[in-house]
Amino acid sequence: MNIVQHVGRYSLLMYQTFSAPQKWRLFLKQTWKEIEKLGADSLAITLIISLFMGAVMTMQTQMNIENPLLPNYTVGLVTRDTLLLEFCSSILCLILAGKVGSNIASEIGTMRISEQIDAMDIMGVNSANFIILPKIAGFVLFIPFLVIYSMFCGLLGGYFVSLFTDLITPSTYIYGIQYWFVPWYVYYSIIKTVIFALIITTVSSYFGYYAYGGALDVGKASTNAVVNSSILILLFNVILTKLLLS
Amino acid sequence: MIQLEDICKSFDGKEVLKGISTVFETGKTNLIIGQSGSGKTVLLKCVIGLMEPDSGDIVYDSRSLASMGKKERTCLRSELGMLFQGSALFDSMTIQDNVLFPLHMFSELSAGDQVKRAKYCLDRVGLKEAYSLFPSEISGGMQKRAAIARAITLNPKYLFCDEPNSGLDPLTSIKIDELIMDITQEYEMTTVINTHDMNSVVTMGENIVFIHQGEKEWEGNKDDLFHAKNEKLNEFVFASKFFQKSTHNIL
Repeated sequence: MNIVQHVGRYSLLMYQTFSAPQKWRLFLKQTWKEIEKLGADSLAITLIISLFMGAVMTMQTQMNIENPLLPNYTVGLVTRDTLLLEFCSSILCLILAGKVGSNIASEIGTMRISEQIDAMDIMGVNSANFIILPKIAGFVLFIPFLVIYSMFCGLLGGYFVSLFTDLITPSTYIYGIQYWFVPWYVYYSIIKTVIFALIITTVSSYFGYYAYGGALDVGKASTNAVVNSSILILLFNVILTKLLLS
Repeated sequence: MIQLEDICKSFDGKEVLKGISTVFETGKTNLIIGQSGSGKTVLLKCVIGLMEPDSGDIVYDSRSLASMGKKERTCLRSELGMLFQGSALFDSMTIQDNVLFPLHMFSELSAGDQVKRAKYCLDRVGLKEAYSLFPSEISGGMQKRAAIARAITLNPKYLFCDEPNSGLDPLTSIKIDELIMDITQEYEMTTVINTHDMNSVVTMGENIVFIHQGEKEWEGNKDDLFHAKNEKLNEFVFASKFFQKSTHNIL
């Protein structure tokens, strides 16, 4: 199958997915479940990664600033901007593409090969809409909270470095993270992640929905979902940075 | 009644179904039999609309599937019940929720009445004790029964079963066969069963269509089966020596 066929089939699936739910009550119930499964269950990994990355970023920035003309608070400023601009959106989403993407692709792929999707189709249920739309809605709705939470945890990681090492004082670090703050960077990060969340959920659902064969093929679908989501995230990162920051 | 008119289907140039025509009658258990790879499942998928035939038509009580619009098809689908080979129960739902699912989607009954109906269907198939269990927590036979309960929950006019006995022990298979026959008579449905289990054929075969390499080779009922002169059918029916001997003794 070539890329044009994939794009065509993906578009048709999305057309089928983005239609009004047959039963709103069931849709809201499913969406809530997905928020819990895809979003809330990602809080722990986000905390761990963001905390440690924030700490390492602070240490590395401090160790690499050798110019005496640069004030100490630069460490906080650089950590904050790196977290806000890149880590909490792109890197976090690349990590979540692995966790959430493989989860979605394997779940839908298993439903496909065990004929659960066929069962829905025969009943006259729009299976794509019933299965995929709540996942998209749930993750896209939750991702802004996840990003803000990641920013907070990352900055907290840097603060712990200032608290428990002698690389930088806590007051200087806090001054640095407040200095020359551009609120647009937060919005920019949220806009990016919402689009990345759409990429992760739709691409992973696509590979799961069209899985065919057995367990091995579900594994392949899951791998394809993660790889293709990651590539698209990197590609859209460049496009969105150009569009939103230039 | 379901009429199949000259159904053809190919995959990548390979003909899987070659002009199959037959009639599945109401109130009867209609069996499609044949070896693995003969095209039974593809035929069944074409009949239920999961696959589009390349040519030919399927007529549901004088309603042609080929000329149906999207709305009419959705309407028709609410009249179909399907029992899949692997049961196809939704893993994330309890048995009761599985049976409730079609009711939630299509029924106008109140929540209480929906639960009553689901419980009635589960009781009907003998699954009183499994309401709150998940599909992974029950046996294969119970999964099949739960799938039958889900299939009949909306009082379908047509019931389709794809290898209902696969993976089951002989005793459970007999119970499932009896259940399907009882339900067919009780609901006056048109039941189409895809099988290669000879016990089922002998028990349920009121109307049998034998398919060989995508072609309809023979059609009749369980009584005609043992006197048929069709060589390919006899090869299939009497493949088991034990079955050959026991049938010979009976005859």
